[in-house]
Amino acid sequence: MGLIQRAIEASGIATISISLSKNISQKVLPPRTVYTGLPLGHPIAFPGEIFRQKQILRILLRYLKEMNSPGTITDLDLTKGSDRSVTCDVCMVD
Amino acid sequence: MERKKQMGIEFNFKGNKDRLIAKLLTKYPSLVRKWAHRSKFIEFSDTPWTQFEKDISTCRLALVTTAGVHLASQKPFDMKNPAGDPTFREIPADTKPADLTITHNYYDHADADQDVNIVFPIERVQELAQSKEIGQVNYRHFSFMGHIMQHHIQTLMKETAPRVAAALTSDNVDIVILTPA
Repeated sequence: MGLIQRAIEASGIATISISLSKNISQKVLPPRTVYTGLPLGHPIAFPGEIFRQKQILRILLRYLKEMNSPGTITDLDLTKGSDRSVTCDVCMVD
Repeated sequence: MERKKQMGIEFNFKGNKDRLIAKLLTKYPSLVRKWAHRSKFIEFSDTPWTQFEKDISTCRLALVTTAGVHLASQKPFDMKNPAGDPTFREIPADTKPADLTITHNYYDHADADQDVNIVFPIERVQELAQSKEIGQVNYRHFSFMGHIMQHHIQTLMKETAPRVAAALTSDNVDIVILTPA
């Protein structure tokens, strides 16, 4: 996915992505990416978690604006591994 | 006929094996770290950069996913080619989740089958536009299937990814959010 992100950013559009693997992101170097700790297949949380899904998008938009160092991986802890019950304050269901 | 039958069995075996590995990787995140550590990826020492200074509440946003999402009426991604499928599908922004399906054996999409927004937040971005947190959602999004390998890495880098970038540029998109799976 990082390769696609690089092509879009190179065309003059600002991009931000979710990273599911810091190891891969460190190699492919997408322009801006946020590692959330969410498991494979769940970049935007779990089924039916509408508020949490929207909060993750809001977090991405916030970091789109804040990140000013190309190739940085913002490391956030929005969950504990695959334990969906342990989540950060901003993603608590309202 | 016999050969065709044998190929069918081989493909089914490959599909089942890929899906089993995908389930294990989803269940045990430490396996993803080990897999990523050992696998070879193209490595870069720098990255393209477009400075972003716009007011997000006025921006046009599009999604790009590599989760293998597509309209049920579109051609599924190719699961037979071990190098993956570097093509993409255009998804109209007003598509209902019920009209979408996922073709991708390399991650466990049982949860995404229940709620596609967890890999492709098509409804959530509409809601952000309704609450005026973003300006508008572009009339189309784009979807790829991840797991692009071997010669198709070049196909992706030289052909299909630039085509999607050009389409998004012609749509005057300001922000692209990319979601893997």
